[in-house]
Amino acid sequence: MTDITVFTARKVRTMEASMPTAEAVAVRDGQIVEVGTLDSMRPWLDNYDHEIDDTFRDHVIMPGFIDPHLHPSMAAILLPMHFTTAVEWDLPWDDIGKVETRIEFLERLIDLDRELEPGEPLFAYGHHPIWHGDIDRTALNEISSTRPMIVWHRGYHSLIVNDACFEWMGLDLDAARRHPQVDVDRGAFFENGLSVAYRHMKSLILGTERFRGGLDRMRQVIHHGGQTTICDAALGMYGFEDEWDHLVAVMERPDTPFRMQLMPFAMGPASGSETDDELLARILDYPNRNTHRLRFSDHVKMFADGGFFAELAMLKPPGHLDGRHGEWMTPPERFEQLARLYWNAGLQIHVHCSGDLGVELALSTLAKLQDERPRFDHRFTFEHFGVSSAQQVDRIAALGGIASVQVYYVYELSRAFADRTMGYERASQMSRLGSLERAGVRFAVHSDFTMAPAKPLNNAWIAANRINESGEVMCPNERASLDAAIKAITSNAAFVLGLEDEIGSLRWGKQADFTILEADPYDVGIDGLRDIPIWGTVFEGQKFQI
Amino acid sequence: MTATSDGATSKPAALVPVTIIGGYLGAGKTTLINALLAADHGRRLAVLVNDFGAVNIDVELIERHDGETISLTNGCICCSIADSLGESLDQVLTLEPRPDQIVIEASGVADPAAIAGYGQGWPGCRLDAVVVLVDAEAIRRQARDQFVGELVTRQLTRGDLVLLTKTDLMPEGAVRAVVDWVGAATSSPVVVLGEAMIEAAVVLDIKATSAESAAAPLAAHELFESAVLEPEGPLLRSSIENALETWPKEIVRVKGVVSIVDAAGAVESHVVHRVGLRWSIEATQVAPVERSHLVAIGLIGAVDAAELLRSLT
Repeated sequence: MTDITVFTARKVRTMEASMPTAEAVAVRDGQIVEVGTLDSMRPWLDNYDHEIDDTFRDHVIMPGFIDPHLHPSMAAILLPMHFTTAVEWDLPWDDIGKVETRIEFLERLIDLDRELEPGEPLFAYGHHPIWHGDIDRTALNEISSTRPMIVWHRGYHSLIVNDACFEWMGLDLDAARRHPQVDVDRGAFFENGLSVAYRHMKSLILGTERFRGGLDRMRQVIHHGGQTTICDAALGMYGFEDEWDHLVAVMERPDTPFRMQLMPFAMGPASGSETDDELLARILDYPNRNTHRLRFSDHVKMFADGGFFAELAMLKPPGHLDGRHGEWMTPPERFEQLARLYWNAGLQIHVHCSGDLGVELALSTLAKLQDERPRFDHRFTFEHFGVSSAQQVDRIAALGGIASVQVYYVYELSRAFADRTMGYERASQMSRLGSLERAGVRFAVHSDFTMAPAKPLNNAWIAANRINESGEVMCPNERASLDAAIKAITSNAAFVLGLEDEIGSLRWGKQADFTILEADPYDVGIDGLRDIPIWGTVFEGQKFQI
Repeated sequence: MTATSDGATSKPAALVPVTIIGGYLGAGKTTLINALLAADHGRRLAVLVNDFGAVNIDVELIERHDGETISLTNGCICCSIADSLGESLDQVLTLEPRPDQIVIEASGVADPAAIAGYGQGWPGCRLDAVVVLVDAEAIRRQARDQFVGELVTRQLTRGDLVLLTKTDLMPEGAVRAVVDWVGAATSSPVVVLGEAMIEAAVVLDIKATSAESAAAPLAAHELFESAVLEPEGPLLRSSIENALETWPKEIVRVKGVVSIVDAAGAVESHVVHRVGLRWSIEATQVAPVERSHLVAIGLIGAVDAAELLRSLT
């Protein structure tokens, strides 16, 4: 066993301004001791036993990619389901094409019905009425009268089921008929009516075996995307302790080639009897349970307005095209109270904000907190950043905020939302990045998986091109530069997570986490970013080929 | 068959009535809940709240406090809505003895009409009333607020009853102005609570669901008066429907049991509810009542018993 392993490569792309490229990385005990050339690292090699590993002689070593915002528990629920969305999914176990029309949607269901065991419930994830139109109970009954079929909305907004599912659920039809948010004739459950359906499905979809199977699939997805660090951006959405137990069981294994930062869902007490002080004490205590791969630190996740996919964003005037209302996740006064609790405790606050009124709430709260108790380097993070204005970006810069942007919105939603939700001007500028870059606001991009594929290179491609699923370029002035797009999945993503001293670039002392590519993104340029093949990753000095 | 003002139909069953208490932060939801828990109404309430911390139950009333539930000596319980409202409802519905009524405190940013779905369509429940509380001092400022203006304005239109709180701290002219403003913003009856405590019989379904416990008139109250209506003989469905549809909104609650005669001459008992402008007539299993018996509760000066009785027949 040698002390040092030196990984040589066609090129090492460091993401360090002092030395942007190199030829070799020397690693000891999973950490980098030096980056440079075999010649420049002589002082180390002369003093220690070492071996040269030239596996990557034809490849490019990049810092391990980082996804600073995704949802493993959501993935664990959805990955055992069949994806039927309007966009393509290249999942490790299946390559799934676009399902863009109502006819295609029904045809996919017919195919799935043929493939599954008799009686096995068919969960189809990804219905969105903008593409798939009205799917109802009658349409599903025509596909199967015996198999429970459940059509799940892309943004978790509604469920549509067939008669066999009513029976399987043991649904109280009389009660369901009285419920204003259950449409028995259409087989649809929406808004609060969803809880009537979950009541019957929860034991299945949250069952240990199925849930852990879903998490294991997510492990593969993360590896295939080339990520070596991810962040669960709201642990506790479905039940904190259960989620934690599942994560430990599935993720904390020697063959898991990535680490997870965990951000607790922090929108209030876990129970009615917990005071805010107890809530804070509980959050501050979480790091005491850290394992090697699963780590809490000083981050909390808050929510301003409703989901972007679900069309529940809070918008400033002129609002939604059809006059619909978004929703707040918590009363704005309570939001401010909780933010103050965390701000004064020195925590890093991440705020889910979908619409420009959601951004406004986060901004005005940040302005008050800065006024009351100024903090430098607080890294108050605007998450998702669906709709915003350039003027809001300037205020984020003035207040020291940063952003973690869901840039896939542009790809999947910009055309549909232009036509159906908010008009072209705002839709074309959704998830703005150019303004952030010009204002000097640091930003990462994230997948929000399963809302977008967990593929950092794909997100960087969208960030730098702003090409949507229809092939249109949406607001070229809001594109990120190539450099900013790559930083958004490496060094700036590490910065958002407060881990920039540990990951995000390659230099002495950092974790030996690499993503191994067949080409240097800086040579490929913005057009080809998403097509660069990924060999695999190195996690803490250990190779994991895909 | 059942007729309701929104056209829904349902079979009669032993459903637990659910009252939703909505309204923005500071509107007095917790104060109302405290009062309902302590009031002498003889009903076993199960109250589901978002935050125990704010509920200030008289220590002498507390029998037991275990985790997410506080049991009171008067048979009521107060539970925190832990993970989901649906789960909390299922928990209280399985209690022995079953609660007589469930009260749900809606979140301050909820649309109470959306939460009402839990009363209307959760297995084992039926919706009794949606009560929206409004902070009279703050409402016009809140309505202008960029974050919550649209929400609080919408909440005003979502209650069967709108209760104005905190008016006791305001000059009389200001109260009149805000009553006018709220009255223009909603078609529902608006009750100025001031320092008065709400009469439990207005927000809860008390003593009216069976012939054996026929509705009784209210004791004297500073805001409300009531009348007992006992129309002779069985009523035509059209008469009672017409009355419930057209009685003034100042008649804030009507409940009782009536005999209805159908086209074939058969007489059946029906339970009648009206809260604000929303009403229902439901067939009941109890033997036909000798005499219809309704209690109408309205604002002081609004209950003209003779006129109400005349409109029924």
